[in-house]
Amino acid sequence: MSCLTISDLYDYLEEGLSPERMNEVKAHLLGCRRCRRAAEERQLIAEAASTLPPFEVPEDFPERVMSRISRPKVKGSGWLIGLVSGSSLLTLISVVLIASGRNALEFFSGASQTFWESAKNAAVLTAKLAALISLIGRTLRSLLEAVSKSLSVLTSFLHPGVQIFILVLALGILASLFYGLRKKLSIGD
Amino acid sequence: MIVRKYQQPLLGYVSRMVGQREMALDFTQDVFVKAYASLRTYEPRYKFSTWLFKIASNLVIDHWRKKKIPSFSLSEPLGRDDDGLTLEVPDDEPSVPRTFELAELRRKVETAMERLPGSLRELFVWRHVNELSYEEMAEIKDLPIGTVKNRVFQAKEMIRRLLEETS
Repeated sequence: MSCLTISDLYDYLEEGLSPERMNEVKAHLLGCRRCRRAAEERQLIAEAASTLPPFEVPEDFPERVMSRISRPKVKGSGWLIGLVSGSSLLTLISVVLIASGRNALEFFSGASQTFWESAKNAAVLTAKLAALISLIGRTLRSLLEAVSKSLSVLTSFLHPGVQIFILVLALGILASLFYGLRKKLSIGD
Repeated sequence: MIVRKYQQPLLGYVSRMVGQREMALDFTQDVFVKAYASLRTYEPRYKFSTWLFKIASNLVIDHWRKKKIPSFSLSEPLGRDDDGLTLEVPDDEPSVPRTFELAELRRKVETAMERLPGSLRELFVWRHVNELSYEEMAEIKDLPIGTVKNRVFQAKEMIRRLLEETS
């Protein structure tokens, strides 16, 4: 008999050959040192692999699993949540109706009356606010018009050179005021 | 209780597949939760443990895909003409495993296992750690028994060569 193949060797070690073939291989191993050493080597590795120490499982592992199983995630159930919420709302309304001793018509007419009262109050408040804003706008406009008219009257009396001088002077005063204030308040340091 | 019965073998398998203990514990929990959620699909003609390992294997493969961890299909050749199954025994050198004590050999085997391609490591763990039969493994992987057996032998030979490298 020729030397063993790897498959023969493993099949022999795992007792996966027919009885006749097992005997043939056994006989060959007795007479062939090379194949015998190959078989021994593989047998040792298999023994080591089959007796590896187990991984430690935490004591509370089953409880952890059970806690996840008892609260499974429900995916794609938006309609179900909607249905449950709707039913809950209806139940709540029914309980309120029964507790208050009113019928559904009274309840809903009462609710709609409250809603319209609130809407009316909100509309009145909005109108008053709009009137106030419009008044402020009109006042500001008149003020700006008066300032503009005064300026145009002044410029018609003065020579353009004097106007430029006054403008430069005004700008200078403004700039010195700004820097003076900045220094006083230590802005930007 | 089912969890207590299967937690140890499943954790042993998953730990060696994903590497990190905390992740392995989470994955093992996922296996039980998924099994519970899909109990209706379980066919009693199969062993319950086989079904659990199939769920675990699918989770592991998903994890490998997401993390882009390379593995190869078991139905593809390894890229060697002889499929890595040529008898290699030097005549005069001492046998590799004999040079180690059993405890040391176990540690070396564990380390060598980590270096196996994922799909071969899976079969090796099932065969030696979980002691599944070739029929069970073939059922889980939906492959012919001959193919599974061949791949397990290849995994064993790779382990042996890796041990040889470290000796």
